[in-house]
Amino acid sequence: MITLVGMNHRSAPLDLRERACFPEDEIEAALGRLTGREGVHEAMILATCNRVEILTRGDAGGAGPAVRAFLAQERGLDEEMLERHVYVYEELAAARHVFGVACGLDSMILGEPQIQGQVKRAYETARRCRATGPVLDRLVQHALAAAKRTRSATGISRHAVSIASAAAKLARSLFDDLRERHVLLLGAGKMSELAARHLSSQGVASLTIANRTYARASTLAEALSGVAIPWDDVPAALERVDIVLTGTAAAVPVLTREAVRRALQARRGRPLLLVDIAVPRDVEPDTNTLEGVYLYDVDDLQDIVDEGHGERRRAAEEARRLLEVEVVGFDRWRQVADLAPTIAALREQLHAMGREEIARFGSRLARLDAAERATVEEVARALVQKILHRPTVALKAAADRGEAVRFAALYREIFGLEPPGAGEEAAGPRRLIRGGKDE
Amino acid sequence: MTQALLPVALALHAAGAAVSFYGELRKRPGWARGGALVLSAAFVLELALAALLGASESAFPLRSGGEYLWTLGCFVLALHLVLVLGRGLPGIALVLPIASAAMVFAATVVPSAQAGGAVAKSGWFVAHTVVATSGMAALAVAFAMSVLFLVKDRALKLKRSVRMLERFPSLETIDRVGFHAMLWGFSLLTLGIATGLAMQAELHRPLWGWSAKEIFPILAWLVFAFLLTARFSRGVSGRRSAVLAIAGFALGILTILGMPR
Repeated sequence: MITLVGMNHRSAPLDLRERACFPEDEIEAALGRLTGREGVHEAMILATCNRVEILTRGDAGGAGPAVRAFLAQERGLDEEMLERHVYVYEELAAARHVFGVACGLDSMILGEPQIQGQVKRAYETARRCRATGPVLDRLVQHALAAAKRTRSATGISRHAVSIASAAAKLARSLFDDLRERHVLLLGAGKMSELAARHLSSQGVASLTIANRTYARASTLAEALSGVAIPWDDVPAALERVDIVLTGTAAAVPVLTREAVRRALQARRGRPLLLVDIAVPRDVEPDTNTLEGVYLYDVDDLQDIVDEGHGERRRAAEEARRLLEVEVVGFDRWRQVADLAPTIAALREQLHAMGREEIARFGSRLARLDAAERATVEEVARALVQKILHRPTVALKAAADRGEAVRFAALYREIFGLEPPGAGEEAAGPRRLIRGGKDE
Repeated sequence: MTQALLPVALALHAAGAAVSFYGELRKRPGWARGGALVLSAAFVLELALAALLGASESAFPLRSGGEYLWTLGCFVLALHLVLVLGRGLPGIALVLPIASAAMVFAATVVPSAQAGGAVAKSGWFVAHTVVATSGMAALAVAFAMSVLFLVKDRALKLKRSVRMLERFPSLETIDRVGFHAMLWGFSLLTLGIATGLAMQAELHRPLWGWSAKEIFPILAWLVFAFLLTARFSRGVSGRRSAVLAIAGFALGILTILGMPR
């Protein structure tokens, strides 16, 4: 049975998440201890700043309480308190949760792409220390592939949801390649620094920083690999840069329409993007009327962010619909995989019957020579195979319709098969290939 | 045969333009690709029709206003397909297929009196019509990019929805493609005017006759000459450049008024 025990930014406060989080270098050892526990056959630990989740495959009956106890013990947490803040998903619900997490649908920032890489790293760690097996391998690989397809189909992470990403989006709307663009940052406030940092991370050609206090500009320039210039050099810088980010604490505009108009004469028609995230505003609003100048203030950026949130919510609904198809696909695979012990038992039982019948007629068959006897045995084996064919196909078809459990129980009753023992569940399918056949 | 194939070509062109427009407007890549494929089929058929017309009448199929519009529509469609299929340029499907469809549809309603035999057999006539029509096709691309520029510039100024902005390439791309199209169009138009003068001289006709097909190409040439000079000398681009390019193309297309009808 697949079980997921976890906590995230919605279910647990930050201090608990901090304490529950596994340091990266301790995960391998923890996985070793977890899979060493009775009833746990496969495991994976996902630990990020917003979630701690333990995914396991264990014996029928579920490993929820055991995994919760493991988490409490490993991280020194009170189990009762943990019970109030963790969620437990089993079987299909667990699979659905994994698919959603990999796609960023359970993230604090809906659709954020980093989680996909984090899930992939968590899986690679678990795989490296042989903590995963056929079921979790299939589940996580399928979830990662589905997340990639769904992101691409819905474009969920394309929409800007921060002031900084909205500024970058606007810049891309004006310019082909940000790597050839020069950015001027006016002021060294936190917001403008964040926006500049985001633009820098897109690989702009240069970042120039000006502040009334040159020392602050210099410190920030060092941190952002930019160049500091004295405040008096701003008019000259306006002539050569493509994007201006302003975020000073000035009470009156520091960039007048007239100053920008003068700079335009030297710019030879090159467009200029002004992103003003200061309150009160740093750029005179009517600067936007100048040809080739595009001025966006904090309210305009917020509108883009709000639109981005709306777009992501719409994309998330579509993503959930697409992921549900993938989850059903995984469930079908799982059902077919679960049939393996029933099919094996059925096959074994009928072949045994064939062998018994041959043995029963042993005295009469003794007159036959070796070749004739081999032919009779072959006929019996072929007959059993033929009898087995239709029930096996029907069983797999039932699994495709989601009726594997009911049909498996029916077969066990009809053919008098033993229920799957703990040993079978523990071993699981050896290696599962597409279509659920085991090798 | 040409009469039978004509409605098919027109229907394909109209359907391709409509599907491409819808695909671009609603950001449906499948529709946009399908539209481009239908337009490709329309282009092949229209070119074949022009060739069939030339073969059946043993004459170069650019002798009348109708034939000129038909060929221009084909050339514009060809450039559109190059930009969309070759360069993956978004947004252009909102303008060029419709412009080219308008040209080929107009070609079927313009009366088709043809240039006289002596004119049509001149080598200068072939050179002049092919070069001038190619130039106008390039200027049609400059026109389309100018329309896109004005729409996107306005959307950015009015701070319209980001979704709307994403439908078009960056302003820089629009400006660059439009500028290159303008350069090619202007060069070919210059060559077209020169070959037209050579053709008149060969036929012992006066070089200037104050007809629409002389006045409008010269006016269009002057507009683009001014625009390119201003761009190179003072960096004039953006909205003013787009408006002038649209005006220049409109003047160029009025040449049709002076063609045999």
